[in-house]
Amino acid sequence: MAHYSSPMTLNYPSSVDPNKKYSAIPEGLRGVPERDEEKCIGCEACARVCTGMATKIFDNESEAKRLVQIFLFRCTFCQHCVDECPTEALKMSKKFEVATGSRDDPANYVDTTLDLLRCANCGHTFYPKKYVDKANELLLQKINPLVKDVVVADFKKVQDYCPSCRRAFAYKYDTHTKKHVWLEGP
Amino acid sequence: MGIMDKARIYSPWLYHLHCGGCNGCDIETLAALDPRWDPERFGIQLVASPRHADILIATGCVPKQFIPMVKRVYEQVPEPKVVVAIGGCACGGSLFYNEDPDNYAILGSPDLLIPVDVYVPGCAPKPEAIINGIVQGILKLAAKKKAAAPTQKS
Amino acid sequence: MVDMLFTAVTMLIMIPVALFAGILYVFLFRKLSARFQWRVGPVVSMYKDLAPLLGASRILQPLYDILKLFGKDTPVPDISRKTIFIASPYLAFICAFLAIFFIPFPGVPLLSTMEESLVIASYLLIGAVMFTILGAASSGSPWGAIGARRDIEIFLIYELGFVVALFSVGLVAGSLSLWEIATRPGLPMLILNPFAAVLLFLVIIGKLAIKPLDMAEAEAEIVAGPFTEYGGKYLGLFQLAKAFLFYDMVALFIALFLAPTLNSILWLPVYIIAVVVILFFITVMQVLHPRFQIAKAMSWYGRWVLVFGVLTAMMVLVLRFYWVV
Repeated sequence: MAHYSSPMTLNYPSSVDPNKKYSAIPEGLRGVPERDEEKCIGCEACARVCTGMATKIFDNESEAKRLVQIFLFRCTFCQHCVDECPTEALKMSKKFEVATGSRDDPANYVDTTLDLLRCANCGHTFYPKKYVDKANELLLQKINPLVKDVVVADFKKVQDYCPSCRRAFAYKYDTHTKKHVWLEGP
Repeated sequence: MGIMDKARIYSPWLYHLHCGGCNGCDIETLAALDPRWDPERFGIQLVASPRHADILIATGCVPKQFIPMVKRVYEQVPEPKVVVAIGGCACGGSLFYNEDPDNYAILGSPDLLIPVDVYVPGCAPKPEAIINGIVQGILKLAAKKKAAAPTQKS
Repeated sequence: MVDMLFTAVTMLIMIPVALFAGILYVFLFRKLSARFQWRVGPVVSMYKDLAPLLGASRILQPLYDILKLFGKDTPVPDISRKTIFIASPYLAFICAFLAIFFIPFPGVPLLSTMEESLVIASYLLIGAVMFTILGAASSGSPWGAIGARRDIEIFLIYELGFVVALFSVGLVAGSLSLWEIATRPGLPMLILNPFAAVLLFLVIIGKLAIKPLDMAEAEAEIVAGPFTEYGGKYLGLFQLAKAFLFYDMVALFIALFLAPTLNSILWLPVYIIAVVVILFFITVMQVLHPRFQIAKAMSWYGRWVLVFGVLTAMMVLVLRFYWVV
């Protein structure tokens, strides 16, 4: 014979009993993605891999700023951006109560701003500063020690120019790939 | 606050309109209405006809064949009404978002057709997040008034 | 003269009493169904941190539903027959509302001292359902048409049982006045003719559209059935009629079968206990049954109504001719 048990209902949205407010929040719950501003280098990997086309990059030429923006309305919380970020700047938080009243509510956007480098020759902005620094760091870790000095010296000549100007100045500053150096050494 | 305004907060009836998409948000919406989260504690009931409803819950991304149905169901809900768009697809298109207007299949999120009052992003949002959105919808409903016209023909 | 004044005053007092009784019966029905389903149901005392926003208690939840409906816009479809569409909710409400005056309350006869009050009450209770069917048929939508057809098919069966149950009690009591039936001395009809009590209980299940017999207003299967095209104040009137109908049917059951309990107002606690027991049994029927198909309902329901009708009639013969009560 069945007996009466007290209801299984949770108290949400009341918080009188915190134990009965939420159903089980599991370890791997994927909430709103959060970006660590210090670690982000503006490499666009998250924008390229985003499933719902939620992460977009906006470059502001006049102020030389790059805005990396996640629009939560389109986010599918799939964690691809977290998996692809080379500096592990992104993390999925446990926040899931994100209902808002309108599209323009700032709570819908996860923004990060970065400074862009400006080309000394043509004046257009190209990569974020942190991106170039990180690329250098990775390059110096992995480069063949025989050719390291030549590559570092060449880079110092053109580091203030955007990629199109670098190509234009390759023969002027003699920074094109020196195949004989790579094959035979300095 | 008169008794009529209070009655609107104390008894919001929901109608669930599935505008397209994978049904994940529909399952989570129906989960939010089951005994575990029991919204009937607050008078929230799921009704079968849009003419009985106060809150229209729109889930999913609208395909082009469904456009007249979405508009028609929206017009059948009597004033004062509130639309809650649940899920990433209903908010901004998510996976189905496209900037090409000549796409043969998908239009986009329902807010290109009907005015949406509350957006609940997620894929699919947790039932707690859905109830959070519905409560925000109820607060917006309290501020609305009956339409000026006495009856609505359709 | 004093009689008429007393009746008029008690009728006026009865209106809010019947309204709040109907609302509380619907609330109790919803709360008990919820507890059977392992959930909470409309809260009796709201959580402390939500009380300022959402009110202190939801005991009057059905009343808030009705008030909200009156505050909404009212759609009227162009393809409906507008006169009947608009008149039906008013007529259904008036029938359910007037029936409260012909059914006695403990110690208060109201209009049930009239000689034919049983007949008048049964006509009004039939009318409350007929006008719902009429409104459904006039709404111009296919869902209303299906709902009306199913409603009529079930209606044919339970009205048969309704008439048999009512007049079986009237025959044994020797009168068609509900006040005389209700204040009969001697054993209550529940003990003398239990078949009639079971028959009337089955009729209540059909009349109030309790599962398994709610296929007429089959929610979501035929998109709200008869009420699909109704919204706003007309739906509010139908809900109000349903609340009054709840009160009417339960009060009629007690007046017919628990006779001595309506002698005086002092029997009120017993009346309340009887109400709770009847609502408990109605809720048990609701939560333990699925919705039947109309064909199965007609065969299953028709069989039970027929069996209990025949048993009731045989019992009436026994009581009337062989056992002078």
